[in-house]
Amino acid sequence: MTTRSMIIDSSDQAPRTTLMKRFPVPRRFHTTAQSRIQRGRTWPAPSGATRVKAFEIYRYDPEQAGNPRLDTFEVDLDDCGPMVLDALFWIKNKVDPTLTFRRSCREGICGSCAMTMDGTNWLACTRFISDTATPATIYPLANMPVIKDLVPDTSHLAAQYEMIEPWLHSKTPEPDKERLQSPTERARLDGYYECILCFCCTSGCPSHWWNADRFLGPAVLLQAWRWLADSRDEAKDERLDILEDPFRLYRCHTILNCTRTCPKGLNPGKAIAEIKRMVVERAI
Amino acid sequence: MSGAMEADRPTPCLPGERPRPVSPNIQNYRPQLTSVLSILNRVTGLLLSVCAVMLVVWLVAGAAGPQAYAAVQGAISSWIGRIVLFGATLAFFFHLCGGIRHLVWDSVHGFELRSIYISGWAVVAATLALTAAAWIAGGIMGR
Repeated sequence: MTTRSMIIDSSDQAPRTTLMKRFPVPRRFHTTAQSRIQRGRTWPAPSGATRVKAFEIYRYDPEQAGNPRLDTFEVDLDDCGPMVLDALFWIKNKVDPTLTFRRSCREGICGSCAMTMDGTNWLACTRFISDTATPATIYPLANMPVIKDLVPDTSHLAAQYEMIEPWLHSKTPEPDKERLQSPTERARLDGYYECILCFCCTSGCPSHWWNADRFLGPAVLLQAWRWLADSRDEAKDERLDILEDPFRLYRCHTILNCTRTCPKGLNPGKAIAEIKRMVVERAI
Repeated sequence: MSGAMEADRPTPCLPGERPRPVSPNIQNYRPQLTSVLSILNRVTGLLLSVCAVMLVVWLVAGAAGPQAYAAVQGAISSWIGRIVLFGATLAFFFHLCGGIRHLVWDSVHGFELRSIYISGWAVVAATLALTAAAWIAGGIMGR
């Protein structure tokens, strides 16, 4: 292992070398019967293709009987764009039009194409195919109910987001002009307001895997800090009351998979530590 | 890992639809320094609780008299006893160094990704170095 693969400087470094590719647990560990993944079919590359790369892709069709399966697609790299999202489009256009995935902006700002590639979460539009293993493995965001193929159901996460009331709360009478902020006060939101709610972090958080029903998860807690840090917000006490709970906030054990995986290079782990400190400061 | 687990919860779906599968989490997510050190901190904490009981057994034997003490000392100096003791030393120093790392984090320091990785590897290196130092020191003093 080189120093470059041992010390990660920035979350956009694809995981090339880790000691293990997956944790030594059985494939069926901790899964419901309908979640167990079966072997799917192989879709060969078109004849004449010279630069071929295999993609193992999670498939699930709610309208057909059967469990999820792992299909192998052989992609002609000479005929395909450089990003994983391009490979998915190539497959959908040329091989299997039923392949289903979310996408919109294709430039890393909408957060729609978040998925698990080679075992870590990132946006398919900003992950180079050349940074993936062979075969590349593509799963929907980890630990989510699956609607179809790579489309996860994130409504539970949206409900958790709603819980922290992500809007400005003010008690003082409305001013004639806008509520002013000094450049220093505004700078406190840097690194937090940029969150695009792709939920890569929450989906990669082991604590959220085991306690998704009660732990809010890194994305929502980062958003909670974004409002706590806002100088114009006047509901700090109420916000902390909602958060101060053994599960909602304190199920974060500072594992920091969130900070490792954020496609925007943000730091949910630090935001949560800031909230914990604010809770302590309020008490003393 | 207490509380309701994901697998126990019915997955939400429309009426008449069959229950949705849940995408794999630990079965597929890549082990990274972040998550591996976290789970090791848990495991070593658990082992140290067991070690605390063994420590009490050793102290009680010492209080009970020379015969009981000799029996426990004999068990400790056996090959299996030494392996267990070595594992306990590793677990102790790992949990100590990991605990210090968490203490620094609680003061909202060292959260840059580079710092997270450097402090992580530092915990691994310090654990090995301190364990080696403790056994070398023990060997010299035992003579």
